[in-house]
Amino acid sequence: MPFLSHGSHRIRYELDGPESGPAYVLVNGLTQYAELWRGYRDALVAKDFRVLTFDLLGQGESDKPRLFIDQNDQVSTLRALVDLLGKRPVFLAGISFGGLIALRYAIAHGDTLAGLVQMSSFAELSPQLLLLGNALRTGLILGGTSYLQDLLLPMNLSDEWLGPQLKNLDAIKRQGWLINDVYALQNLMESFLGFEGLTDRLNSIRLPTMILNGEFDFLTSRSLHDTLRAQIPDSALIIIPRAYHAFTLEKPALTADLLARFATDVMSQQWNGGGSIWIAPDEAGAEITLFPAEYDHLRAIPVRKVKS
Amino acid sequence: MSTFLGPLDNGQIPSHQQTRVGAFLASLHGALGRRLALGLPVNLRFGWETELHSQLHREAEIATLMMRATSWVADFELPGLWVAWEMAWLPKSVEGITDLRQGLLIDLASLAHAAHGSIRPAALVPPEADPKDAFVLALRRIEFENSRLIQAQILFLKGPELAPLREAVSFAVEQRHQQVRELWEAMLTSIGVQRKAKN
Repeated sequence: MPFLSHGSHRIRYELDGPESGPAYVLVNGLTQYAELWRGYRDALVAKDFRVLTFDLLGQGESDKPRLFIDQNDQVSTLRALVDLLGKRPVFLAGISFGGLIALRYAIAHGDTLAGLVQMSSFAELSPQLLLLGNALRTGLILGGTSYLQDLLLPMNLSDEWLGPQLKNLDAIKRQGWLINDVYALQNLMESFLGFEGLTDRLNSIRLPTMILNGEFDFLTSRSLHDTLRAQIPDSALIIIPRAYHAFTLEKPALTADLLARFATDVMSQQWNGGGSIWIAPDEAGAEITLFPAEYDHLRAIPVRKVKS
Repeated sequence: MSTFLGPLDNGQIPSHQQTRVGAFLASLHGALGRRLALGLPVNLRFGWETELHSQLHREAEIATLMMRATSWVADFELPGLWVAWEMAWLPKSVEGITDLRQGLLIDLASLAHAAHGSIRPAALVPPEADPKDAFVLALRRIEFENSRLIQAQILFLKGPELAPLREAVSFAVEQRHQQVRELWEAMLTSIGVQRKAKN
C-alpha cells in the first residue's frame, strides 16, 4: 500500500491501470475511503484509464491531523498526487466534500487538468446546506460516527438501494465506522468554519466540466449545482434519474460510464458544455438525453420556463 | 494475530484479555479523573471548567465501570505494566509554554484528547460477541462517551485563548497521541491483538 510523503503528512494512495494514457483522480466524500472507488477503478482501468484513488488528510489510512485540517492542505496534497501521474491528460472527479476540494484545485491548478467532474458538489454554503452541515456535526458529537452514518444513509440513498440492505446495514456501516475517527471527521467538518464561497471564482475555470446531480439530492440541492453550471463556462449539468446525494455508491456502473464518456468526448474534442442540461440514462451505455428546453430544470414538477 | 479480541470463550472475551484491556482503560481514565480532580478549582469561574467538572465524574465512571465489568484473572505481568502506564500519565511540561499552570492544563487536555480520540475499544469487539455481555457493553459505552468527552478538549485546545500557541499545542497533542497509541498497541500485542499501525 503506497504512501506519499507531503510536508509532514503521509497520504495513502493507490494507482492502477496502464502506465501511459489518460488518468482519472477520484476524490472521496466526507465519510468515505479510497476502497469505495473499487468498482470505478475496475471499470475505468478496463477502458485504459490510469486511476488514482487516495484517502484525504483526516481519512482512512492517511495521516489524521489532531486539531486542525486546512482545505488548502488538501489542495496542495492533491497537487502532489497529480504530479505523480506525470505528463498525460488528467481528469479530476470529486463527490460532495471531495467535489469542493476538486473545485478548489481546478481554480488554483486548472492548467494541470484536462477536465473536471463535479458530483453532488457545491461552491457555496446555502442556508439549508449550512444548517444541515451544522446538524450533522452535532450528530457526530452527540452520537459518534455511527449516528452520523445513521443520518447520512437514509438522506443519501434511495429506498430501492436501502430496502434489500436493511438487514445488512450494520455490516455496511462497519468499515466506515472502523476507519474513521470522530475527532478527524470533526476536523474535516470544521474546515468549513470561515468558509468563503467560491462562486465569484468559478468563471476562472476554463476546463471542460461535467456536473452530476442526483434527481432527488436534497443535501446539495439542484440550485447549488446550477450555480456551478451557470458560472463555469464550458460546463454541462447531467441529472441522474431517481438518485440521491450518494449516487456514486448506488449507481457505480452508470457513473463510471459517464466519467469515461466525458473524458473520451473531451479528448476527441467532441465535448461542448455550453451550460447545457441533460438527463442521464438509467443504465450504463444508454443515451443521454437533453433536458426539455421549455421546462424549468430547478423544479420537481413540470413547470414551463418563464421567458426572460 | 487477529485484529479483534478473542477467540471467544463460550461467547465471552477471554478473561486474560479482559484483564489487560480493563486494567489499561481503568488506569488511563482513572489518571485523567485524578488529574482533573486536582486541577480544578473549588469554585468554577469559566465555562470550560464546568465542562471539565462534568468530565471528572465521567472519567471516574469509566474507571469504576471497567473495574466492575471486567472478569479479572491473576496476571503476574500486570503490576509492572500498571506502574509503567501510571508513570506515563503523570503531568509533564509542554515545550514552548513558559506558564507552568497553562502548560499543565495543555498537557492534561492533550492526554485526554489522545485517550478519547486515539483509543477505540469498541473496534476490538468481534462482531459475533454477545452484545449483552457486561464487558462488551462497557467497551462500547466508553467509545460512545469518548465522542462527547473529547469536545471539552477540542473546545479548549482549538479555542482562541491558545491560538497564539498553536504550534506548541499541536506538538503537545501529537506527542500524547503517539504515547497513548504506542502503549495501547503494545498492550494489545501482548494479548494477541494486532491493530493496524496508523499515523
